[in-house]
Amino acid sequence: MTWNRREVLASLGVGAAHVLLGCSAPARGPVHPQVDAGEVRTWLRDAVSRLHAAGFTHARALAVTRHRTSAALDVLGAGITHARTDGVVLSTGTAEQVTTDLSRAGIEAAVRALAGSVRAPASVDFGRAPAPLPVTKELADYELLDRVTHLATRDTDLSSRIVYSAALLDLDDMHLWAVAAGSDLEQRITRVKKSITRVAWNGTRPIVSEVARAWAGSIDDKDHDLTDADLVTAREHALALMTPTAFPDGDHSVALDPSIVAQLMETAVRTLLTAPAALRPEVARRMAIGRRIAAPLVTLVDDPLAPGAYGGFAFDDRGERAEAIKLLDGGQVVGVLPPRRRPGHIGPLAAAPSHLSVTAGTVAAGALLDKGFELESGLSAFIDPSSDRVVISAARARERLGGKRTGRLYADIELVGELTPLLSAVTAASKETDTFGTRDDVDHLPFFHSVTVPALRTRGTLRARRRPA
Amino acid sequence: MIDARSLARALVRRGASAWTIVERDQHIARLDADLTRSEQRTRWYLTVDVDMPAGRGTAHLRLDMLAGSVDAIADQAISLAHAGMGPAWSSPPPAAPARVDLDDGSLRDPVAAVKRALPAHAGVFATVTAMRELVSVTTHAGFHTTWPATLIRVDALVTSAGRSLAITRASRTLDGLAMDAAIDDAQKDLALLATARAPVAGPCTLVLHTEAMLHGGLGVWQAFVPQADAATERQGLTRYREHAPIVEGADTAAEPLTLESDGALPYGLESAPLGEEGEAVRRFPLVERGLAAGLALSPREAALRDREPNGGVRNLVVAPGTWNGTATGGRVIEIRRLRSLVIDRYTGTASLEIALGLERDVPFTGGSLRIDLIAALATARRSATKLTRGNYEGPTTIWIDHSDLLA
Repeated sequence: MTWNRREVLASLGVGAAHVLLGCSAPARGPVHPQVDAGEVRTWLRDAVSRLHAAGFTHARALAVTRHRTSAALDVLGAGITHARTDGVVLSTGTAEQVTTDLSRAGIEAAVRALAGSVRAPASVDFGRAPAPLPVTKELADYELLDRVTHLATRDTDLSSRIVYSAALLDLDDMHLWAVAAGSDLEQRITRVKKSITRVAWNGTRPIVSEVARAWAGSIDDKDHDLTDADLVTAREHALALMTPTAFPDGDHSVALDPSIVAQLMETAVRTLLTAPAALRPEVARRMAIGRRIAAPLVTLVDDPLAPGAYGGFAFDDRGERAEAIKLLDGGQVVGVLPPRRRPGHIGPLAAAPSHLSVTAGTVAAGALLDKGFELESGLSAFIDPSSDRVVISAARARERLGGKRTGRLYADIELVGELTPLLSAVTAASKETDTFGTRDDVDHLPFFHSVTVPALRTRGTLRARRRPA
Repeated sequence: MIDARSLARALVRRGASAWTIVERDQHIARLDADLTRSEQRTRWYLTVDVDMPAGRGTAHLRLDMLAGSVDAIADQAISLAHAGMGPAWSSPPPAAPARVDLDDGSLRDPVAAVKRALPAHAGVFATVTAMRELVSVTTHAGFHTTWPATLIRVDALVTSAGRSLAITRASRTLDGLAMDAAIDDAQKDLALLATARAPVAGPCTLVLHTEAMLHGGLGVWQAFVPQADAATERQGLTRYREHAPIVEGADTAAEPLTLESDGALPYGLESAPLGEEGEAVRRFPLVERGLAAGLALSPREAALRDREPNGGVRNLVVAPGTWNGTATGGRVIEIRRLRSLVIDRYTGTASLEIALGLERDVPFTGGSLRIDLIAALATARRSATKLTRGNYEGPTTIWIDHSDLLA
């Protein structure tokens, strides 16, 4: 039987395989912007003026040009890929016209589709045009490959049990314009994600370990980059040997590591704390403003203006300036997310978080738990909006007794129960926080979001995982 | 702007042995209570094969726009193909596309269609999306074919005092949605939910009604799709092998299971004349009277086995049984709706979270089931009544013996 590299990676579930395989295309120089920002603004202003002339006084225009570059290095070599996508959304308030043709002709065709043929544009005051954005140095392929090679070779203590190793650098460079009467906005967001993957065999099955850091800003930002501790974590998680006995199902004190808290909070917000979710009567009742659904030490904010946030932005996809929205204050519901984001900035408006953050506590993460289980590496979280039922899957549960680790480490554990009792039982949060950035794919359009959370101590029902990974 | 012809020339210049370019020119309309959205877009799907002394490599690329130079795209495709090198194989000769109608006249104007399809029931919040696309396929063998296709999808939230249920329907035709019946069913289930109690754990016999059986699309029948994946089967990771019973005794069951993939079903959700790699779509059996009977064969997998490609698993057609829909004996649990269904692609083991069940006509909500779906469906009794929904055609209800309800 013969396997090729793609099949091996796919069977290991290595997420970056599709990128890693796009290796060794001829290198090229810096990628320069392929649209002129001033021209785009002129086209959008003209489109909004024509829509005003047709009677659409709430007309808005949003345009994006997005360039994605992925550089990767694995055991067989290094490579780099490029892709570009453009889009324009014209909105009248009750209707939207979308095109992927970011040109004068494309935008004019979109205006005609909305308003028919309009002879002369109306006079509209757009306010002052924003100051030109600073020119950022574009990186040539060899510079990106140099960075990913450095990332791949930083950990010099790799064990021979590691059978696969890879490093990935993902850059999404976006230039956005939003134009409406009295408002002319422009932003450029460079989103950076660096990750390393390690695979080791544990008995008869491969263990895949991946650590990633994601932020918005410079590719060389040391404050957000992968640390040496991250590299050690990736290696140790891949090499960890699991306790072979059955997990003792039952109610336990648990410490949820930040990756699990991140999944829980993001799923809870998407499922319950949005304006569309409130259309469900049971959600509206359970998540009514002022209702307490978590312990007093849980405060949750969606803040797209958080510095360096992977999911952050200066203005949203409605063309309105970004602002933080407090969702939980001392465990009480105080707000919900409105639809203000679009997948790829051109998809349908959706109510989704940008950068969630949970207030840190005062306890050291290692001192959260005296007796119970530390859950590590969140795999998935499921919340049923109609019943509050929650199932959180974790890769590992580490037993603690008398404030110390017993050495028992169980694989594939679920925390099950109801969301409100689970969050109400939170009795401590760690003073250390961790940040995670995610690039989701919605109808082949990217959706960026991030979260900064501490570890939490709570109580719940643990069991061996029933839901397949 | 780049076109398919110049891209093809660039691929040939770089030594591509075989290639397929699929262009999807789409007009999409979306409507909810507040907003009408209309979108024009073109997406490209590129498959490139490169022959080397070490074997053949294949690349699959999806492009949202053909910007930049053809040379850069061709370079990327060729290098991707080199990285995916495997055993040598040769492309099968082109075969006639399946003859299938996918273009519903009532959806030719997607904007008008979404307005007609938006449900007008009280307490129902819906989003309707309709698409008409023109698909063009060009291959290295000079083969060029084009077809129109339509699609409509409704995502609705049906609410009553204090409760709600989400429903989704998708169809190639406006009439195929059957939204009124779906909303009526949901409203009846909401009335049951209002009086639902907690589940009682223990052994039971299960009856899966349509909504639960087809949760999320193919529902429990999805367990058979990865088992028919030829690459997985070649790697020895499937539960069963071709021509063998899918589980012990499956071929001697009272009503042996038969199911097939029919990619030429008129207006079938997954029907198409050609696959993404330019291969002709064909009808083929997956399971025939309890025996594994066929695999989804891409051109590569077909060539490695010296067979004809069939376009993969498309619409699933399950042979109905003779069961009259009444389960007897012991403790019978009827499952009407699920909260979630997760299936392990290799083992077929599934976790089902129950949203609404009935025990002796008394409704309950909550609880979960863990089922070996391959074994359970091999011997399940299937109703004699049939329905067609989305990419499924088959019995409306199934009866599974020997299950265990977990609280």
